[in-house]
Amino acid sequence: MFAASLYIIVCSARNRARARLRRLREPRYFIGAIVGAAYMYFSFFGRLRSARSSAARDSARARGTGDPALAAGPALVAAGPALAGISLLVVTVVSWLAPFDSGLLDFSDAEVEFLFPAPVSRRQLLIHRMLRSQIGLLFGAIILGIAVPSPYGFGRLRMGVAMWFLLVTGKVYFTGVSLARARLRSASARTRRVAWLPVAVLTAAIAIVASAIARAFLAAPPSSVRRALQLLSEVSLQPLPRIVLWPFAAITSPLFLSSAPAGAYLAALAGSAVVLALSTAWVLKSDEAFQDAAAEAAQRRKRQPQGQLAVSYRTRSAGWTLAPTGRPEAAFAWKAAMQTLRVVDKRGLARFVAILFVLTLAATSVGREGPAATLGAFAIAAALFAILMAPQILRVDMRQDLRHLELLKTWPVKSSAVVRGELLWPGVFLTAIAWTMIAVAMTLSGTVMPKVGLGWRLGGGGAIAIVAPALVFAQLTIQNAVALVFPAWVPLGNQRPRGLDAMGQRLIMLGGTWLSLVVMALPGALAGAIIWYALGRFLGPAVLVPAAAVCTVTIALEVLLATEALGPAYEQLDLMAVERDEQ
Amino acid sequence: MAIAVEHFSRTYATSGGDFTAVNDLSFDVASGEIVGLIGPNGAGKTTTLRSLAGILRPTSGRVRIDGHDIIEDPLEAKRRLAFMPDEPHLFEYLTVDEHLRLVARLYGVTDFARRSAVLIEELELKGKEQSLPGELSRGMRQKVIIACGLVREATTLLFDEPLTGLDPLGIRRMRETIVARGRAGAAILLSSHLLHLVEEICTRVIIMDRGNKIADGTVEELRARADLAEAGSNLEQIFLRVTGQRDPSGQM
Repeated sequence: MFAASLYIIVCSARNRARARLRRLREPRYFIGAIVGAAYMYFSFFGRLRSARSSAARDSARARGTGDPALAAGPALVAAGPALAGISLLVVTVVSWLAPFDSGLLDFSDAEVEFLFPAPVSRRQLLIHRMLRSQIGLLFGAIILGIAVPSPYGFGRLRMGVAMWFLLVTGKVYFTGVSLARARLRSASARTRRVAWLPVAVLTAAIAIVASAIARAFLAAPPSSVRRALQLLSEVSLQPLPRIVLWPFAAITSPLFLSSAPAGAYLAALAGSAVVLALSTAWVLKSDEAFQDAAAEAAQRRKRQPQGQLAVSYRTRSAGWTLAPTGRPEAAFAWKAAMQTLRVVDKRGLARFVAILFVLTLAATSVGREGPAATLGAFAIAAALFAILMAPQILRVDMRQDLRHLELLKTWPVKSSAVVRGELLWPGVFLTAIAWTMIAVAMTLSGTVMPKVGLGWRLGGGGAIAIVAPALVFAQLTIQNAVALVFPAWVPLGNQRPRGLDAMGQRLIMLGGTWLSLVVMALPGALAGAIIWYALGRFLGPAVLVPAAAVCTVTIALEVLLATEALGPAYEQLDLMAVERDEQ
Repeated sequence: MAIAVEHFSRTYATSGGDFTAVNDLSFDVASGEIVGLIGPNGAGKTTTLRSLAGILRPTSGRVRIDGHDIIEDPLEAKRRLAFMPDEPHLFEYLTVDEHLRLVARLYGVTDFARRSAVLIEELELKGKEQSLPGELSRGMRQKVIIACGLVREATTLLFDEPLTGLDPLGIRRMRETIVARGRAGAAILLSSHLLHLVEEICTRVIIMDRGNKIADGTVEELRARADLAEAGSNLEQIFLRVTGQRDPSGQM
């Protein structure tokens, strides 16, 4: 079976590489590949040069000035594995409550049809899947190794290896969780008892660590995020939590030793290898639940169109029943609203949590202490994100519906109404989020910007609130225009095409959207500037409001004209031009 | 004529050059007629149906539905049309009831509640009204597509392999539904590989091969043509003969 696995892996990789090279004949992929390669080159070598020079600068400064921020570096490195270990423990617990899809049990249709009836044991099938996942994991580890801000190539290699251990262990562990959950439902009482064992161990582990953290936090409540992290680090060094956290710290510690002496790095790597070996042994021992878990994964995969990320929906009452009569745009908005409110997208949720985390970090880095200032800064960051970035991320519009073009095209709806209907819900939804965040930011603006006067704060907040829908709808119009005019450039639905060329295409799209937004906003900005110049001396900060209103009206007119102009593009759009199965 | 197709051609651009899927096709379907469109794989049946439904644009020629050109007057033409494709592509996030509601809204169906209840009963979707497509079998999803097509008062019905995925009872019901709609005056064009079904319910048959129409008439008329059939031939034998395929029984 090992030879057969290697044969499948080599043939698949070779054919995939051939297909990628073949598609470079198409200009869009060729241009995308050039842009992607240029991005990789400059981000890698650019980072390498700047990292080297900043490392030299830092060491000179640390020698000369004794900067405490720089001096804090080693302390953070020492606390890193412990903090990462606590985070991993939390992820591990969460994976039992809401299992992650490791993908290891997601056998392709061909694998099911060829390998399942073959005289191959369950363990061999699991090992086959583990081997097959290696190419993706190695690629991920290399990319993360390149991305790390290390001045030395060898440090990047070390980081890559450490990352590979972490990724493989994660994949194997999450598979183990899926198998163990299937065993919990076994008819045999003995199997169920054995399956509960890791749950009991994990519950004890989380109880020990959580009680130690609670004691530490109650004894000295942290005044800032930095202090909280420091407390967590101290807790992880206490005797009992340290033992409990060992496997979690062991798998992450090589990540923090990429520039440590070789002996220390190799010792840490040995610890990671032990954890990986234990996880693998646990999974291979749980193989009796393999069929149930694989069947569950197959069911999940069957519900998804090919080449799409796992997004599932659950029937939820949204409190909005479509009226039998009315404008077609409202029907499209209702349809998109149902999609948004019913989605169960774990990856999307993970991305959302990551964005919240980054926004919170950005908010805390403003420098002002206190929850009100932090919340205010967070609201500002979130509002800007909702206005400027979210229209490119929330794809509940033509970008999703091109998959259903065959159905849409049969409907007796004016094409410009289809385009407007597709924009309506995401525009309203994002505007509502932006307005909520702006309201919070304005309420707390006194703590975030105490030196700015009330008039300017109110005027500025009001102006942003007025301009927000125009900017959101303008970006959605641009994105949907590209989907209609150049459908092959747009990943449909939840597709995430891979490869350097696809990455280049995404970069071109992002740059193009921003450039188009600037061009679209220019007339409105000019009109607003004229109002500012004419009325500024009479109205003071309040002039921002009429200036923003004029700007918004101008952009809104442009959006309306654009949707009318896009009508013929929708009519002309040929089903065959829409790539259905780009992977 | 409910459906009028004149010199319709459709060409696809492929990496190996242009490929003509349908070449200079002309035919009519009158109200109350049930016309079967048959042909081997790649004959151009689905391309023809999709072009009639306004999904694909003809490369040349004209398609009219109740006198309305599908390109020049698409809204009026589509209002009269119902297309039931072979692959049931539904919105994954809308329930069965919501699919019907959405279609009713877009087509301006006034007595939605009554029509929906009748169809749910007729197509055996009772109890599945609040189900999402992901919770339904392929056959059930096919029934939802058909229900969406029938919920409005369409004068022209296009079926592409309407029986795929249905169980024997479902096939029987669907056959009755199609015949009933034909008797009620709808013009029906259906594509199917189930030749005994076509022979049984269709008033006329069009045979296509490699994008060309090679025969058009009632089964009796086709039987009567010496170049198409021997005496006593059934539709399957006629089909195999005109498409140049070998009959498994050994006859050409």
